[in-house]
Amino acid sequence: MTNSLRALALGAAAASSLFVVACGSDDSGSSSSQSSGGAPKAEAPAEGKQGGALQQLGAADVDYLDPGHTYYQGGYQVAYATHRGLYGFKPGTPEPQPDLAVAAPEIGADNKSITVKLRKGVKFAPPVNREITSKDVKYAFDRAFSVNVGGQYATAFFSSIEGAPKKLTKGVKSISGITTPDDQTLVFKLTSPEAPGVAAALVMPITMPVPEEYAKEFDAKSPSTYNKHVVASGPYMVANDAEGNLTGYKAGKSIKLVRNPNWDKATDFKPAYLDEINMKTNVADASVAAQQVLKGQGMALDTNPPAAELKLAVTQFKDQFVQVPSGGYRYFPLNTTIKPFDDLNVRKAVLAGFDREAALKARGGKFTGDIANHFLPPGFPGFEEAGGAEGAGVDFLANPRGDMAVAAKYMKAAGFKSGKYEGDEELLMIGATADPVKAQSEVAKAQLEKLGFKIKLRLVPQDAVYTEYCQVPKKKVAVCGGAGWFKDFQDPQSMLEPTFKGENITLDGGNNNLPQLDDPKIDAAMDKAATLQGEERLKAYGEIDKMIVEQAPAVPFVWDKQTNIWSKNVAGAANDYGVLLDFNFTSLK
Amino acid sequence: MAPLLQVTDLRVHFHTDDGIVKAVDGISYSVDAGQTLGIVGESGSGKSVSSMTVMGLTRAKNAQISGSIVFDGKELLTATEDELRRVRGGPVSMIFQDPLSSLHPMYKIGKQLVEAVRTHQDVSKARALDRAVEMLGLVGLPEPRRRVDSYPHEFSGGMRQRVMIAMALCNDPKLLIADEPTTALDVTVQAQILDLLERLKRELDTAIVLITHDLGVVAEVTDDIAVMYAGRIVEKAPKGAIFAAPEHPYTWGLLRSIPRLDSPRDEELVPIPGRPPSLINPPSGCSFHPRCPYVREAHTRVDPALEPVPGAREHAVACLLTGETRQALWAELASGADPEAAKAAATPAAAAGPGRLEEEGS
Amino acid sequence: MGTYIFRRLIWTALLLFFVSALTFLIFNVLPTADPAKLRAGRNQTPETVAAIREQLNLDDPFLVRFFSYLGDLLFRFDFGTSVLNDEPVRPLIFEALPNTLMLVLGAAFVWFASGVVIGTISAVRRGTIIDRVAMTTALVAISAPVYWLGLVALYLFSSDLGVLGLFPAAGTYDAADGIFTNISSLFLPWLVLAAAFAAIYARLLRSNLLEVMSEDYIRTARAKGLKERRVIFRHGLRSAITPIITVLGLDIGILMGGAILTESVFGIPGIGRLSFDAINRNDIDIVQGTTLFLALGVCLMSLLVDVLYAFLDPRVRF
Repeated sequence: MTNSLRALALGAAAASSLFVVACGSDDSGSSSSQSSGGAPKAEAPAEGKQGGALQQLGAADVDYLDPGHTYYQGGYQVAYATHRGLYGFKPGTPEPQPDLAVAAPEIGADNKSITVKLRKGVKFAPPVNREITSKDVKYAFDRAFSVNVGGQYATAFFSSIEGAPKKLTKGVKSISGITTPDDQTLVFKLTSPEAPGVAAALVMPITMPVPEEYAKEFDAKSPSTYNKHVVASGPYMVANDAEGNLTGYKAGKSIKLVRNPNWDKATDFKPAYLDEINMKTNVADASVAAQQVLKGQGMALDTNPPAAELKLAVTQFKDQFVQVPSGGYRYFPLNTTIKPFDDLNVRKAVLAGFDREAALKARGGKFTGDIANHFLPPGFPGFEEAGGAEGAGVDFLANPRGDMAVAAKYMKAAGFKSGKYEGDEELLMIGATADPVKAQSEVAKAQLEKLGFKIKLRLVPQDAVYTEYCQVPKKKVAVCGGAGWFKDFQDPQSMLEPTFKGENITLDGGNNNLPQLDDPKIDAAMDKAATLQGEERLKAYGEIDKMIVEQAPAVPFVWDKQTNIWSKNVAGAANDYGVLLDFNFTSLK
Repeated sequence: MAPLLQVTDLRVHFHTDDGIVKAVDGISYSVDAGQTLGIVGESGSGKSVSSMTVMGLTRAKNAQISGSIVFDGKELLTATEDELRRVRGGPVSMIFQDPLSSLHPMYKIGKQLVEAVRTHQDVSKARALDRAVEMLGLVGLPEPRRRVDSYPHEFSGGMRQRVMIAMALCNDPKLLIADEPTTALDVTVQAQILDLLERLKRELDTAIVLITHDLGVVAEVTDDIAVMYAGRIVEKAPKGAIFAAPEHPYTWGLLRSIPRLDSPRDEELVPIPGRPPSLINPPSGCSFHPRCPYVREAHTRVDPALEPVPGAREHAVACLLTGETRQALWAELASGADPEAAKAAATPAAAAGPGRLEEEGS
Repeated sequence: MGTYIFRRLIWTALLLFFVSALTFLIFNVLPTADPAKLRAGRNQTPETVAAIREQLNLDDPFLVRFFSYLGDLLFRFDFGTSVLNDEPVRPLIFEALPNTLMLVLGAAFVWFASGVVIGTISAVRRGTIIDRVAMTTALVAISAPVYWLGLVALYLFSSDLGVLGLFPAAGTYDAADGIFTNISSLFLPWLVLAAAFAAIYARLLRSNLLEVMSEDYIRTARAKGLKERRVIFRHGLRSAITPIITVLGLDIGILMGGAILTESVFGIPGIGRLSFDAINRNDIDIVQGTTLFLALGVCLMSLLVDVLYAFLDPRVRF
């Protein structure tokens, strides 16, 4: 009963899978982010005006204020303004910026250790008021692995840390592999040579310091009540009282951010122009809110504007918005274990004939994203190496409108002399009952039927598309009508391995390799790439992206864009990691 | 002395989508102070419309009213709505058939009486209530002081009609129009209400127009009787004359349909065959002719006028049969013959003349 | 009457019990998103989900969980905790309630008053131009979707988006600022929410009044010599309005569950918004709490209406 309503919810914490099952009009709803490597369109204003208050209109509350618990764009937006993690981001620069850290992480020669040096002189906000040390970051990690706090990605990205529990623990336990030789040094020991991947993940909010002596009484409860007593370390803080109770947080209604009196500009790369940020988190109608933002003063919107207002912004309010790539790809996986998609030529024919522009239109058109012709998205490390906007150069993805001649060529190669598929078995496609997944899957059905396939399109509630069908191999889904994969941080490994590595196929459900692509060459290349660093790493994953495209396991069709809008007197900014408006760099004119 | 109420050639026509309904089509009658007139007829005969018209209650956009109604020296047909309003419930008041539906179900009866009093008399609520209690006592309501706080549904039918009468009398009307006041009541209560009206007439010297379909009712209280059929008066006479020497075949029918206490219980009541005529397209000639057992061919063409009965100054009838024929027929009927037998006995072949006595099927 | 009310209250309690049991059943037993999975986030492992299930006591048998919920509700007036952001539900509901109350009661006043006035005029002037215009307008108002009407109202009259900036903008009412401050920002929502109801009430009153005006006691009232105005207002309207008050009570009761669309368009943080969002997020305790309020609203209003009816119409007795 809930799914059809989901589109309006812009549901905080609604996503239950890294796959984005197209959350209605608000695709940002399920994607969380990290830094990017591509060409950013957002530029911070050279110098913003100091002071003033911004009001952000939003439909949904943050998931959690607790940096150890949040795992959602909205929560990140507040977290990166109120905390200093090891690394942060600024608009216009894809690379992570040392924040609490003083430099990039040092990776041990065996790829099994990471050392981070911390900055001196950074203090917690009231009521803690003391200097932040490496122990505060270690405690942040320790607590995220407890069920009390409920860290949502700790076990997924940091399980290779020595002594890290495989499942969330009852109560906070110290992790032996994270050590603090001195107040400014933090060392991670790993059980496997995955340091480059783990190091890339050190931009996540799990690295934001938490003072143990203050937080432990809250963390002793299950669930932890630290969420109501969060202590800030960034330029801003949620308004609180002398005991640390967050008086500025009204769940489901509003969040008031004020300046953190203990924040020292000299220690930070963030300008933090604004004096105050008032977030309304209960604005119901996105259309009305978007209009209010565009025509009003001192406001911003927390989400993609609805189609009509998006068009309005792009055409009439040209200096009141910024678009940033969302850092993910949407695709139609073709199940390579099901006849006829077990034939590479048939799959290539499908990609060749597919009108990807029609599929993008079904999602809202060119303002909402770009047509994809491979997987690693724009603004993401490895994008250029994978062929950039041009793509892998294969003929079967050359024409975004589809090319029936090329399709016919591959069909003939597969043994169908008519140039179209001649089998008469019915292929199951799963779509959602709500737009835009409904619309895009209907387009996909038409595209496949154009090539002679018989498609049975089954529309199911949004949540069930993944958990009940596409992720369950024994349901024999031939085509998944609503699949997407979005970044957690800027590392290509996490963008390709879960979704295309043969090793990752799990036959009894929860399978993320939707096409069930099982190519030993690709798997081997991935194993090798995981140990590489820097340019080599990006090159390796760019090549892997091309290898995947060559196997045509899915139709990539859109790279989403996030559009942030603001009022005339606002100078907005956004970075590629956070995607939403970056409070640290936004100012009033 | 001029009569209290003089109605002359009153016509009330309603324009409807189906045509003109001639509900009242030229009637005249008069009532003297303290006298009682009974208007008798079937439903649809125009008897209620004519008396409602006296009260000005039939005024409407689609109503066309002509003639004259003079009450107490004053023309009511041309009176303004305001003047009429002062007459209504004051010098002329009215009671209706169904006392339950005629009282407002959501107001206490005391309140409804007080409202009636204060509409016409400039008195305090307390005085008005005293008057209400007094009137309720007069009409025989037990414990009136207590019962003013009751709602209509808490009374029996008879008591409710007493309340209605009290309400109608509380402004000392000169004329009371009682429209089927006993029809909704059972027989014993009917008699009590009629007794009450009779007593009030004597005590208060109020003229009454009693409208009923039941000749038995008017037998008790009226002085004069007018019989209406299809919007017209077909016979008018003092009470005695109507019962002793009725002249119109319709009146005969009505008389024969009165249940009589002295007749055997199993004796069949004799209804008048046929249905009341359409008021939009009334029958040609005598409007009673389709139902008249004694009809002759000419009756379908000639419209009879209300004319005095020879030898009876206050008795008038609108019938095309000759006086002798009528007397002969009534004599037969009064002795218990049915209309067929009476016709055969009372009509020598010669008297039938050239025409045929034909009975039109009903 | 005392016994009657007591009996009705017992029934209300029973009904609330069944409503909460049903809601609980729907969200806990029938297949829907698992709160533990929602809480576990996108990168969940079965182990994490299991740990959270244990933390939230989701593995206890259905009846144990239900009666523990009920126990908390009855003995501690505790509505539970939002699964997704650990907020206690009671303050959430009690913060939203005044907003919904202000919206609904204000709108009810508007639609009742205007419905009665328009309906009366239409009935009295039956068949005239006024009547026809009023009834056609009413038909339009009934057919117009509230959401659309709300947007039109905003684009016409709100101070920030409107062509004529007559009323405060959407999102400016919140009872937390003080119930009667910013009351002017409720004018538009009142009008929008009231429009369809006013139209329905006008039509209802018109037909009731026309029917009543042909009643015998209206003839009696006229025969008493009352002025027509008094006949209509004291005698006709008194009867015609009584059944409408019943409908009014029930409508208000139902809207206690929230006037979702109106609250949405105008950004009023009421019960409707709260439950709508909670349903979207499978936030069971909030859904449970708001559903109970809706049921309670309907039950109490229908009881109130029945009692009130006995006072309005003396023929009705218990």
